[in-house]
Amino acid sequence: MYGSVSTHDIPAQATTGLENEDPQQLAEFEARIARGEKIEPDDYMPALYRKQLIRMIEQHAHSEIIGSLPEGTWITRAPGFRRKMAQMAKVQDEVGHAQLLYSAAETLGKSREDMLTDLINGKSKYSNVFNYPTPTWADSNAISWLIDAGAIVNQMANARGSYGPYCRALERICAEESFHLKYGHDAVVHMATGTPIQRRMMQEALNRWWPPIMTFFGPADKASQHTEILMRWKVKMASNDDCRQQFLDMYVPKILEIGLTIPDPNLRKNEETGKWEYTEPDWEELRRVINGDGPCNQERLAVRRAAEENGAWVRRALQAKRQAPKAVRPLA
Amino acid sequence: MLSSLDPRIARLALPDTAPAPTPKAAFDQFETFEVFHQKKDGAAYTYVGPVHAPSADVAFLFAKEQYSRRFACTGMWVVPTSAINLTPYVGDQESVYDGVSAIVPTADAPAEPQEYAIFHLKKRGKAHTNVGLVRAASAADALYQAKLTFGEQRPVVNVWVLPWNEVLTLDPADRDIWLTTPEKKYRDAIAYKVQDRIERFKLETGTK
Repeated sequence: MYGSVSTHDIPAQATTGLENEDPQQLAEFEARIARGEKIEPDDYMPALYRKQLIRMIEQHAHSEIIGSLPEGTWITRAPGFRRKMAQMAKVQDEVGHAQLLYSAAETLGKSREDMLTDLINGKSKYSNVFNYPTPTWADSNAISWLIDAGAIVNQMANARGSYGPYCRALERICAEESFHLKYGHDAVVHMATGTPIQRRMMQEALNRWWPPIMTFFGPADKASQHTEILMRWKVKMASNDDCRQQFLDMYVPKILEIGLTIPDPNLRKNEETGKWEYTEPDWEELRRVINGDGPCNQERLAVRRAAEENGAWVRRALQAKRQAPKAVRPLA
Repeated sequence: MLSSLDPRIARLALPDTAPAPTPKAAFDQFETFEVFHQKKDGAAYTYVGPVHAPSADVAFLFAKEQYSRRFACTGMWVVPTSAINLTPYVGDQESVYDGVSAIVPTADAPAEPQEYAIFHLKKRGKAHTNVGLVRAASAADALYQAKLTFGEQRPVVNVWVLPWNEVLTLDPADRDIWLTTPEKKYRDAIAYKVQDRIERFKLETGTK
């Protein structure tokens, strides 16, 4: 699962950040991407490319690992054995995705140790939607279906990007997300077409999750020199607004057909422009929650930290008897 | 104390605030191993990705879970990343072997030849695939031997040379580790069919 994490991913600087790059190497790098070839770990790459990819892939990895918490909460209380197993399989997938993504980021030169530390100390961010709670089983279903649906829109776009290891990881991730999407849809349909109490639960969960979902892709991109460069380098593959429009196109009809209503009176498709119109999401709240003041920020990081600290003795025990380790950077 | 809707988290009695974490020591997350799968009998082994693990045996377990929990395989190889020798990458239309020449013999006594597994990458962004084994006195010599044996293939964007004695392979008798994989249908998208239920709902509510 993944979303556009931060409102200020790309610093609005006057400089391009390319002053220190060798012009010939840069031209060859750009020509390779323009030909449709992927960049591999040992290739020359501009510092800005490396930095932006590390940030993106690392945030994606953190989103997977933190994103498994609000659904993991419901494993023991999922209704029925089959749903418990399926919920567990989904949570295992999300944690597995984090492993794949941490490795992809490692090939760019940031160690897994540093990424894990930066998550816990708050230096690195993760998708903001996971700072909201899942008070009922229906909330967990809303995440399984709609947050994963949003994530797939994002990930399918990124899978066409230029960095080989990230593409390989995303290919694997997207294949598993197709199960999440179907599983989540099944769970939501079950609730929405069930008893009046189940329907009400599902509607209330959707009401709670709609505002975070609308902020999931981030605010409209500011036109900046960086955005243009990162699009040319196939780091950023689609604008935040395009992702949001694509999500609404695909999922609004599916939500409405099962008798749920969307808690936005202004939501409608403008037939002339072909674009969805909606109440502008509360970007001020997004900014506030990203910076730590959300309902679950503290809990998410505390739980991650506890897992790290409680597992430390196991890692120490495993380290005690082995030979000196050598490589810590995966090859691809 | 931190309050949570999740009883399991509430029971942990986590503090409200905590000091900044101390940075992790190097190798806290162990070293990395690279994993290769064989999807069917007779098929070539293909790269699937890395795992972090404290030993090759643990890497093997992680690799099985991480890369084959949905699809049964017929074989798996696990190699420490540090044991792999790799060439630079060339363009998608080129061959790495064009820049490879015979090893100049040195005055030292030649090393006992050993086996190396050779992997080719045919296109950037795809996965390295095994093309076969060569016998050579060193990894550099193995690359030259690979050129003699597999050099006609094109394009070859990148080559990995794996000393065979460093590769942990699956004993064919242990293939039953994947025996129950196909039973876990609840992990597959295809197990979830909701359209009938949606249609029935539409009929009942008169929205169709």
